[in-house]
Amino acid sequence: MRPPATRLRRIAAGAAALGLALLLIGLAAAWAERREARLQADAARRSMEVHALALRDAAGKYRHLPFTAGLHPDLRAALAHPLDAAAQARANRYIAQVNREAGSDALYLIGTDGVTRAASNWDTPQSFVGHSYANRPYFVDALAGRGGMFYGVGQTTGEPGLFLSAPVRSENGAVQGVVTVKVSLHPQQDAWAYARDPILLSDARGVVFLSSVPGWLYHTLRAVPPAELARMRSEQQYGPRPGFPALPWRVDRTEGEGGYLVRTELAGTARRFLAVDEPLPELGWTLTVLSDHAEVARAGERAWLLGLLGAAVLLLGGLYWQLRERRFAEQRDARRELELRVRERTQALDEAHAFRKAMEDSLLVGMRARDAEGRITYVNPAFCAMTGYAAEELLGRLPPYPYWHPDDVAQHWQHYEAMMRGEPALSGFESRLMHRGGREVITMVYTAPLVLADGRHAGWMSSVVDITEQKRAEQRQRQNDEQLQHAQRLASLGEMASTLAHELNQPLMALSNYASAAKAFAQQGRADLLAGTLDEAVAQAQRSAEIVRRIRGFVRQHTAGNEDCAVDALVANALALVRGDMRQRGARAQVRIAPGLGAVRGDRVLLEQVLLNLIANALQAMEATPPQDRTVDIDAQACGGRLCIRVADRGPGIPAALAEQVFAPFFTTKPAGLGLGLNICRTIAEAHRGRLSFADRPGGGTVFTLELETTAP
Amino acid sequence: MNATTPAAPANHLCVVDDDEAVRRSLGLLLLSRGHAVQTFASGEDFLAGADLQRPGCAILDLRLGGMSGLEVFDALRAQGSPLVVVFLSGHGEIPMAVAAVQNGAFDWLEKPCHDERLLDTVGRALQRAGEVATRRQARQAAQALWDKLTPREMQVARLVAEGKPNKQIAQELAPLEQRTVETHRAHAFAKLGLANSHQLDRFLREHGL
Repeated sequence: MRPPATRLRRIAAGAAALGLALLLIGLAAAWAERREARLQADAARRSMEVHALALRDAAGKYRHLPFTAGLHPDLRAALAHPLDAAAQARANRYIAQVNREAGSDALYLIGTDGVTRAASNWDTPQSFVGHSYANRPYFVDALAGRGGMFYGVGQTTGEPGLFLSAPVRSENGAVQGVVTVKVSLHPQQDAWAYARDPILLSDARGVVFLSSVPGWLYHTLRAVPPAELARMRSEQQYGPRPGFPALPWRVDRTEGEGGYLVRTELAGTARRFLAVDEPLPELGWTLTVLSDHAEVARAGERAWLLGLLGAAVLLLGGLYWQLRERRFAEQRDARRELELRVRERTQALDEAHAFRKAMEDSLLVGMRARDAEGRITYVNPAFCAMTGYAAEELLGRLPPYPYWHPDDVAQHWQHYEAMMRGEPALSGFESRLMHRGGREVITMVYTAPLVLADGRHAGWMSSVVDITEQKRAEQRQRQNDEQLQHAQRLASLGEMASTLAHELNQPLMALSNYASAAKAFAQQGRADLLAGTLDEAVAQAQRSAEIVRRIRGFVRQHTAGNEDCAVDALVANALALVRGDMRQRGARAQVRIAPGLGAVRGDRVLLEQVLLNLIANALQAMEATPPQDRTVDIDAQACGGRLCIRVADRGPGIPAALAEQVFAPFFTTKPAGLGLGLNICRTIAEAHRGRLSFADRPGGGTVFTLELETTAP
Repeated sequence: MNATTPAAPANHLCVVDDDEAVRRSLGLLLLSRGHAVQTFASGEDFLAGADLQRPGCAILDLRLGGMSGLEVFDALRAQGSPLVVVFLSGHGEIPMAVAAVQNGAFDWLEKPCHDERLLDTVGRALQRAGEVATRRQARQAAQALWDKLTPREMQVARLVAEGKPNKQIAQELAPLEQRTVETHRAHAFAKLGLANSHQLDRFLREHGL
């Protein structure tokens, strides 16, 4: 919606343009009218010249006739002898003859008294002879010695005509009479009748005396003063008329160019004419030619029409142009907007694409899309990194996928088939993958149906989270926990062993020193010192024995716990403590516990400790054993009223040479071993009234047997 | 002075162990081999009671009540003691003992140890202590001689030891006449009992002057 101000301005501008256009058209029309008027006026003038020439010709042709006729002796004689009838007759004949030859209307001779002496029509009823024309101006002028010219209506005939007169002079120059010729202008007037436009001739007083329009005769162009009127009456110029009405014209003199506009009624219709006057000074008349103003008006109208038509065409053209411009502008705007929108859209798409790509690339979660047949249609970089396969290698693949863990193929198929049935585990499942490099990748897989915008089910989208590290961390944590537990359980024993080792070292060191000193004193023969030194040595030996007693005492102190321990629980607990170690070494445990065994009465911790030691030793013994044989066989069964737990390994076995030393304190085959493990184990076993022994295992390895008392099952 | 004479083994021997039996037995063993032994029950006693500046050998137990053997060793080094240190280590202390040897201890013995090895180690330690004592005495004697020189003579002597001619020494120490340099030089040689610039150079090097 445009603001009202703009609208008003537009309306004002439109009105102004319209006004200007109308003004221009009006001006053009006025100019066209003026031009047409000028053309009409010119045409009128040209025709007027013809008419004026004809008039002048009519007048001029007879101008000198009266003078010439007046020279004839017969006429002079007639004047000189007014009573001489013969002279009169000769004059009459002569005049009639001249009149006939000249073609004028009438020729006649007037005496100075104004009475006609002779006339060309002397023998007609309308003969001028004897009539007095003393009142007529042409007679007056000729009598005064001048040539007279007068247009008027004949007093005798009543016929209008042009009267030309000349004096007749005697030998001495005196005026003896006047010869007058009367010429009718009817031929001219009749000729005018053929002209298209009205023509009229007026005299000096403005009285129309010749006109192509009969109705206009003896009307005045302007008001005649009363004095003139009286004179005309006395001169009988236009016959015995009481007055002269004004022409039924309305003159509009605003027209320039020597013409003027005349509105009148002709033959019952209102008409407008362009009038042009042409004075004829030598005759004292004014010739007026009218031309139809309708042409001018028509020219104006034509100009208006043309102007309006042009304006309309221009307007229409303008409107069309504007419409076209507007449509073009609209199209251009639309195109621009479209382009802009396309650009925006493209940019938005690009941004969205970049955003999505950045998101996908930054995801640590692997994404994998599959179509309804299970064909891989999309994988993100994280998934590729997780499996070690490039996207191109995976796209389009059907199961089995290359990254399936060979050990879990059955499980993978199971998940795949569940998904194909449309029952994916939405809450996710753990899945073991195999990285191309052979590394195991443990993942959590969450699968959801991939539903397109049109609601079509197109496949499956899975997010795959690598939980290997987490699993490892969990495993480590579990191992740590186990080791911690192990360490805690061993703490008292280990601490004790270490302390005892140190404590035992001191007396042994001293004992060694005393012995060495005693030897030296003996060699030196210093008996006094020797005895004392030996006493010291004995004391240190006793001190050592005391320390060993304390070990037994410590063990005994810890066997205070006296409870019924189920054999399977003992074995399970001991195995739990070495599970981490076992996994690390790639070894397995095979447990066989005979059913219906009674419980063992004793200290659970210490008994577990013995089993733990035996299992740990078995594992350590199998370091060089091929992995597939690294099995610790543990079996428990009744044996001779007691209970035997056997821990068997497939290690190198114990050489016969060392067999004696196995249970000795500080005997060890391990670089970091303390050499107290089996010694203490045996002590513990004995504290429980049991026995610990070992034997070579058939087929390689060693079997340790822990024999314990059992309660009745 | 003559540095080439073999040094007599030192006879200053200290045993620091908090176990009385070990302490006394060691003392007796060493006594039986003719060594006079001072025994101490703790590191603190040892640092307070022994003559730490006298060259000799200290046998330190690593595990002591109070200051540890290593702390005592550090204290000795801090005081610039010429004592040669042998550590005694119990079970599980071997890495500590090795580290101590790397830090300048003479050797270590693991308890319980063979008497011959012990006596051998102590003998070598005392031998080393004798050498240390000799070097120490030589250096002290040299220092005493050196201290007799005036500061100007020391200046000239150092430049002479570098093998520089008198003229150049005079230029370096200007304003100093070449004749004066000759005088200083002659005085320095006389006081130090040396014959030429080579001997002077060796003298300064050997005694770290």
